[in-house]
Amino acid sequence: MPYHPGLLIWFLLALHALFVVVLSVLGGRLGRRALWVAAIPMAATAVWSATRLGSTGVVTAGFQWVPGLDLALEFRVDAMGALLSVLVSGIGALVCVYAVGYFSAGAASMGRFAATLLAFSAAMVGLVWADSVWTLFIFWELTSITSFLLVGFKHADPVARTAARRALVITAAGGLSLLAGFVLFVDAAGTARLSEISPITGSTANAAAILILVAAATKSAQFPFHVWLPGAMAAPTPVSAYLHSATMVKAGVILVAVIAPAFQDTDVWKPLGLTFGLATMLWGAIGALRHVDAKLILAWGTVSQLGLLFTLLALGTPKATFAAISILVAHAIFKAALFMVVGEVDVRAGTRNINELSGLRRAMPMTFAVAVISGASMAGIPPLLGFPAKEAAIEAALGLSGAEFWIVGGLIIGGSVLTVAYTTRLLIGMFGSTEPMPNREIAPRRPAMSTPEVLLAAATVIGFVVLGWVTGVVRPAVVTIAPKAEVYSLLRWPGLTDAFITSMVIVSFGLLIGALLARRHVASGPVARGAANVDWTIDGVGRLARQVAARVQHGSLPLYLATTVVVVCAAAVPLATQIDTDTLYWWDNRAEAVLVVMIVAAAVSATRVSSRLSAALVLGAVGFSVSGLFVAHGAPDLVLTQLLVETVIVVGFVVGLGRLATKFPDATRLWTAGRLVIAGAMGTAVAVALAGSAGNSVGDAPIREFAETAQRDGGGKNVVNVILTDTRALDTFGEVIVLMVVAVGILTLSTKRGRTRPTSAASAPEPDPGPAPARATAFDEAAR
Amino acid sequence: MIARTSPIVALAVRAVTPIALVVAAYALFAGHNRPGGGFAAGLVLGAIIVLRVLAGLQQPRFALVWLSIGGVIVGLVSIAPLLWGEPLLDQVVVSWDVPLLGTVKSGSALIFDLGVVAIVVGLIISLLDGLDATSLVGGVRTPVVSRRPIDVAMHDDREATT
Repeated sequence: MPYHPGLLIWFLLALHALFVVVLSVLGGRLGRRALWVAAIPMAATAVWSATRLGSTGVVTAGFQWVPGLDLALEFRVDAMGALLSVLVSGIGALVCVYAVGYFSAGAASMGRFAATLLAFSAAMVGLVWADSVWTLFIFWELTSITSFLLVGFKHADPVARTAARRALVITAAGGLSLLAGFVLFVDAAGTARLSEISPITGSTANAAAILILVAAATKSAQFPFHVWLPGAMAAPTPVSAYLHSATMVKAGVILVAVIAPAFQDTDVWKPLGLTFGLATMLWGAIGALRHVDAKLILAWGTVSQLGLLFTLLALGTPKATFAAISILVAHAIFKAALFMVVGEVDVRAGTRNINELSGLRRAMPMTFAVAVISGASMAGIPPLLGFPAKEAAIEAALGLSGAEFWIVGGLIIGGSVLTVAYTTRLLIGMFGSTEPMPNREIAPRRPAMSTPEVLLAAATVIGFVVLGWVTGVVRPAVVTIAPKAEVYSLLRWPGLTDAFITSMVIVSFGLLIGALLARRHVASGPVARGAANVDWTIDGVGRLARQVAARVQHGSLPLYLATTVVVVCAAAVPLATQIDTDTLYWWDNRAEAVLVVMIVAAAVSATRVSSRLSAALVLGAVGFSVSGLFVAHGAPDLVLTQLLVETVIVVGFVVGLGRLATKFPDATRLWTAGRLVIAGAMGTAVAVALAGSAGNSVGDAPIREFAETAQRDGGGKNVVNVILTDTRALDTFGEVIVLMVVAVGILTLSTKRGRTRPTSAASAPEPDPGPAPARATAFDEAAR
Repeated sequence: MIARTSPIVALAVRAVTPIALVVAAYALFAGHNRPGGGFAAGLVLGAIIVLRVLAGLQQPRFALVWLSIGGVIVGLVSIAPLLWGEPLLDQVVVSWDVPLLGTVKSGSALIFDLGVVAIVVGLIISLLDGLDATSLVGGVRTPVVSRRPIDVAMHDDREATT
């Protein structure tokens, strides 16, 4: 077989899937070593992607699934895909290593953790490689589900559970919005491939733009959907470091970036995107300034940074897009390092509260260095990778004109000041005080934790040193979405430009504000009111559903039946007007008259008999007589099936009746008459409906066509059966699945009601003939 | 129950069992060209199982096994054509000459029908299991363990079983 690079895409994705399966089965025995195993596919993906960094070539792989619907798995690794997957998988592998140090030696469920983390990473890689929007959607949803599992990893903790549920509900709601948006998008654009999109306009495009932006906003924690992100800090810190630096929250930003060229010209894209972005940037920064938990400060800082990315991408100028992707890269690196630092401080010092932390500069010098380097990169201070990226953003903001310059540009600059401020406050809060921590031993350094931190900090520094290479990697990626961006570069020393002066002013003001705020003592962070509202809403929906169900599902079988009858009768009324009396005649065949008399007689007696057994038998008589009607019409398949079904039902009734009294409990005259009326109404309604629809037939029945198809394609003479197993086999497939579900439901229900076949009961039989076991109560209730 | 106390019924059910199996097999194979098919075959098998349970000859067990086997068969037959690049559920017809029987024509539809048989049988067994047919016919006596108030309303059962 000739070498084909597309095969590598399949291979790497399959490798992820294989390792996920292996880890979930065997991971439990490996303990923390499972994390090393999980790092293997990630590292492999990162290495392969790194070889494709900055390349203008494209590797594709595709598999047509349902050609008729243009449903396909399509992957396309271009410069953008490679850049993103290097971040996703590279940081993923580092996070795995970090987690080895983070968890204690005896930590439980490491196999599950490693498998889920790897599954999430695989979903993320699929997402950034996806070319078809449908492929992207599938992986988008996979990231929602796997991140839910990761956030809720400590499932015994109610806080983590609630946070995970909140994240899932918000991002899954966004997923629905995304699906609707993609449907409209494909309709308007005429293609499902991201590589083939061209600008679209019109009302469909507007609707798609809104839906897709909302979806991206839920995933990327844009205001007001950001409430799930701070809550997700309930996850173990390696998860936070991974989800909130390079992956989960970047998914929305990446989606906006790759699909922006299509919506650039719509009326709503830019205003809505800017509103999301600017509101999020400011609100996130304010949130970061108010908290005292270092991890929450970082979480809110992430929200703010995502707002900045959203703003830049919504601006849509080549310069802004270039700046956005550069910041995305820098942010992934420094934010992962900062989360790792906070996790290490948490593990070693026992708290993350900046009011309590002190003396760490001396106790944890390496961690301190990493924090300062990464924090300075976040603030945009040279000589670090964050600086040229931030510089590009400022330049893009200054390049705006008119109202946009004053509003958007002003807010970006204001947001940057706040970013510097919260970074300063965080660093001073964590490492500012020199006194040793009272009553606390600082645990020894764990190499597995500090190594990834140092590597990431080194990347931040080296990235600035080899800035030309970084430009060569980032620029081709940006060009895939904004071709005009090829003139831009990341500059180590821009000269005394307006942007440089602005950014120095920003840094000075930010440092000042941050230092002032750090001195102000805040006892505790603000209450997460938004999150509480979301939880209240989710619980409220559950409560409402229970109340409605309690009303509607009252449990009275006669009432259910009566409801059904009323609905059927009402549905039959419009059909009654369509009965064409000319087409009605009494019978095809005299035998039918006899059968009908039998059926009616049996049906009427079914309503009158007082013994349950008799009722079951006359019901059987109705069924057998109906199969006689099928005989008269020459439908042997129906006859056979009807006979068999009736047989099984009658015998089944006999089994069930053993549980019940031999007579109906309420055999009053009124009730008997009521049953007759209900049965009569139902029968009449069905007869009317049939007569009405018979007068309404459209063309000839396709029997001849079916017969021919059956012989040709299905190779059988029994048309009915060929329809069932070949022509409409998908229907049959669905039906047998329904049967399976019913059967499993029966088993579950009867088990839930107290399965009373324990071995102890069998070994010590009751001498008393005794009442029937409790598990039959479900049946009793239903029969009553 | 009569079925349990009467050796005649038990003997009759025992005698009918192989016949029912043959009928079920016939329905399955005949389905392609004549009345029958997986659903019918499953019902025949199911009916004989019901009778055997009522006669105390066997217990309604392994419902989940039947269901799973059926589900796997049906699922595999459905997606197998994808492996050869054919659409979902595309059927393959083969015919070969068998001594005594002449030309036998069959296809993947037959395997699909086998899955249907297993699912129908599983459904019927789970119905019997759900109704606790075994204890009803006196197979296993079990005490009431549930302390739910609903059991107070079970006077019907006492009447029925005494």
